Amino acid sequence: MSDDRTQKVDQRQRMLEAFDNKAADLHPLETYEVIGRRDVPRNDGLEKATGAAKYTLDVQLPGMLYGRFLTSPYPHAKILSMDTTEAERLPGVRCVLRYDDPELPEGASLGGHELNSVPALPRVAYFEGEECGAFVAADSEEIAEQALKAIKVEWEQRPFLLDVEKALEPDAPLTMPEEYPESNVHTVYLEGHGDVEQGFAEADKVIEFKWTFGLNTWVGPERPCGVWRWNGDFAEIWTKQQRPHIVKRAVSTWFGGIPMSKIDIHILYQGASFGGWSQMAWNLGGTYCAAVAARRTGRPVKWLFSRREDFYGGNMDAGVFYVKVGFKLDGTITAVSERGVTLNQDMPVFGIVAHLMENTKIPHIHGRTEAAWVNKGHTVPTRCEMNINCYTVNLVFNRVAAELGMDPIEVSLSNDGAEGHDTDWLDAKKAELGFQVRDSLRECVEKGKAAIGWDEKWHAPGAKRLPDGKMHGLGFTWTHEWDDSAGSSEIGMYFERNDGSVTILGCRCDCGVNAETTYCQIAADELGVPLESVRFKHMDDAGFFPMTPDTSTNLAVNGWAVRNAARILKQKLLETAVARRCVTQLTPGYPPAFPDKRPDELDVKDGVIFEKADPVNRMTIGEFIGPSGAMGPITSPVGEPIYSGKEGLAFPLRGTPPMFDHGWQIQRGCYLGVRLRFCRQAHFMEVEVDPETGAIDVKKIVTVNDVGKVINWDGCEGQAYGGAIMGLGRGMTEEVVYDPRTGVMLNGNLLNYKIPTMMDYGDIETIMVETAMGYGPYGTVGIGEDVATVLPALIGPAVHNAIGVWIDGFPMTPDRVLQALGKA
Amino acid sequence: MATVKEKGAVAEARVDLVVNGESHTVSVQPQWTLQHVLAEKLGLMGTKEFCGEGACGACTVIMDGRPVLSCMMLAIECGGKTIETVEGIARSGHPLIDAYVKYSCMQCGFCTPGFVVTAKALLDRNPDPTVEEIKEAMVGNLCRCGTYPAHIKAIREAAAVLRGGGGRE
Repeated sequence: MSDDRTQKVDQRQRMLEAFDNKAADLHPLETYEVIGRRDVPRNDGLEKATGAAKYTLDVQLPGMLYGRFLTSPYPHAKILSMDTTEAERLPGVRCVLRYDDPELPEGASLGGHELNSVPALPRVAYFEGEECGAFVAADSEEIAEQALKAIKVEWEQRPFLLDVEKALEPDAPLTMPEEYPESNVHTVYLEGHGDVEQGFAEADKVIEFKWTFGLNTWVGPERPCGVWRWNGDFAEIWTKQQRPHIVKRAVSTWFGGIPMSKIDIHILYQGASFGGWSQMAWNLGGTYCAAVAARRTGRPVKWLFSRREDFYGGNMDAGVFYVKVGFKLDGTITAVSERGVTLNQDMPVFGIVAHLMENTKIPHIHGRTEAAWVNKGHTVPTRCEMNINCYTVNLVFNRVAAELGMDPIEVSLSNDGAEGHDTDWLDAKKAELGFQVRDSLRECVEKGKAAIGWDEKWHAPGAKRLPDGKMHGLGFTWTHEWDDSAGSSEIGMYFERNDGSVTILGCRCDCGVNAETTYCQIAADELGVPLESVRFKHMDDAGFFPMTPDTSTNLAVNGWAVRNAARILKQKLLETAVARRCVTQLTPGYPPAFPDKRPDELDVKDGVIFEKADPVNRMTIGEFIGPSGAMGPITSPVGEPIYSGKEGLAFPLRGTPPMFDHGWQIQRGCYLGVRLRFCRQAHFMEVEVDPETGAIDVKKIVTVNDVGKVINWDGCEGQAYGGAIMGLGRGMTEEVVYDPRTGVMLNGNLLNYKIPTMMDYGDIETIMVETAMGYGPYGTVGIGEDVATVLPALIGPAVHNAIGVWIDGFPMTPDRVLQALGKA
Repeated sequence: MATVKEKGAVAEARVDLVVNGESHTVSVQPQWTLQHVLAEKLGLMGTKEFCGEGACGACTVIMDGRPVLSCMMLAIECGGKTIETVEGIARSGHPLIDAYVKYSCMQCGFCTPGFVVTAKALLDRNPDPTVEEIKEAMVGNLCRCGTYPAHIKAIREAAAVLRGGGGRE
């Protein structure tokens, strides 16, 4: 651990030395036309409102077959033998793949992010509902389903475990013996700074508490699915996938290797995507089996999971956590120690006390994550891996405040800082890095307090009973932004012939956050063209892979790529406008469009190139680019120059240098603690709790996010209120329940797994703070994951403020409320 | 598409439907849902399947003036019915479409058509719904992205346009 910490400190030091916010943006825009404007319509609004938007599930190809998987009826079982004869005989069944097929090597990894290898068709199932053993491709999905039912399997049932703490016991049965023959614990992750024992010794008071969080899942409206078609030896793939580049990379390693240039990927609109699935080889299994079946049948194959199968993936954050906090009587926290036992966490490296380290002046912090396997579906980062950290921040500050009888906001403000240092240290760093020095947390808090009426409404826990018998409560929490700026980003950008409209190319998943419109706004302002003329074509594999909607990173990475490309493109446009070019077989060349001018004497606005000193000397980009046709921009269809002396442009004008030229802000992820965080967020909630039924009525939510700068208001506000609603579900009603006796999932459907409806939330006020202290272009930070991740835990202090009793378990369902009140 | 030959299975049947004002005669298998026929056979892919069991509203269509869940109806039982889908509502120039775009009622967009259809059915029977009436009418439509607040604004605006005769129709 000490080596790890040293490495992080070194990395941060390098980053501090290399980073200069002012130097990074040498040519800031003086004015914004569409960046930050409020009435910018979504690119995809009409397409989605009219039902015209196409998703992978909608793909229909001539002769296409439908593929489905056999799933395990048991939580832990091995296939001893399998008879597929009857299934193969069914009319309409075209191909049955089995686990013992030589083209489906057992133990091979498909290329996902799992710690263990995941074969396409495993012989052993580690949870009920796991795809294993067989894949059927048939003329219709229902025939495939019928064939699966006709497969006879002899199973060897094995002991199973569902309780993650029991998995730690010395005599616990092994839950994944082939992969982890020694122990159910696969990783112990340590983090921290200082010496917690010293911190507890310095404290006036020490408290300890436990909290738990059940499995929840994001259950996307479009089922996991994909299509494979072989065009000769070219692979054409459609897939519902958040990270198209992972699919392409994995596919290129299959079948002895397929050159990347022979793989075409289509990423249509995603029927929601909140992470998780995108990183799983489990999901790639469908693509692999479809490829094999497509080759054998000579037909395209669409693979699908059932609605129920979707509930086993996209899980997040289940675990049991033990927290110890030491503090002074004035609210200064001296030490925090937390031990977490997490359930099926594929990547347990995000920490449980990381936000306290990055976000506070608490000098002594220690976190220990013990990640163990049980026989349930995998949990992977899904909006978002910082959830546990957010719970920790929330519960630590609110518990300490309650213990001291103090306002949790005051306790929070007094512990604000970074890396164990106070806000003076942090302010000095802001200045050093070229940011303006603003107190983001205080700005967020002041706006939020006013909006929720904190000063008038806040009261001691359990002190306010309403006339109808309900208990009134108010809750507050906070943390920082955690935009990772992770990943690389390449995009292409060019002017279209004929009209000079702008196309941006880059294969990426649209999961609905309106990112494509935002990129178009940046391109429009940087190029000086109308927003309406810019389109981001994100669905096709044009050779560019922008960063995907992970880790709140859309804007902070791709924004730079778009801005950089736009600046290169504009510069090339202006250089070309003053240059003599287009030497052809027909002509010796053409005089410049703007003779005797330098590029810096020109500018572009509203799609028009003009001379700054003499704006009458002007030409639209469309006129300058010229028409499409056999001779490109040079001549008309009859071979005559169309715009004498002014047409032409070197073509194609697209491409962007490698990420690091414009991506100076790149770092390895906030969970690795490399960079300092300046932007904060604060959230408030007002509830009424019925002590007779345990029902929690959320009356009002105020979200305050310092996003640095708002580029697209709809996008920001949509993530705030959408996240608040999703967060309410995760914190109050959503839990995937398994039968402890059989290990079978009990509520894998939308009737019994309760996601919020239009009746389940009160007023939501979304407030944006713009301090420009983010690492993205124009000082932005991402917001996609923030609210949905922070909000679930906020229900805890709000309910505590109402009923005066802490509830350990999330989601906070009525039965847990009644239990806490001693009524159940 | 091949027919599933089960013991005692009923053969395909011809069903007459009027969809978005156009007459169709479709040969359907008895187990096919109306959603399957609309999306897969008539190419009206705005009628989406999300939950597949009547819990989410994504497949809502208007049948003989009432909103119904097309994943819960067998196509074979829909003979002679008049059906309106999101594509028909869009083609008619209903002000809900403009309002939905204006207020960004969609994120991933998969559930959006179902909301538009349910909202259209609401406005057909209640030209001036209150916020509570809108919530009550739309409570069966689930959106995982949490776009709910925007729908309320859009539906109220579309209602105002309709009352004021400002629709494009």
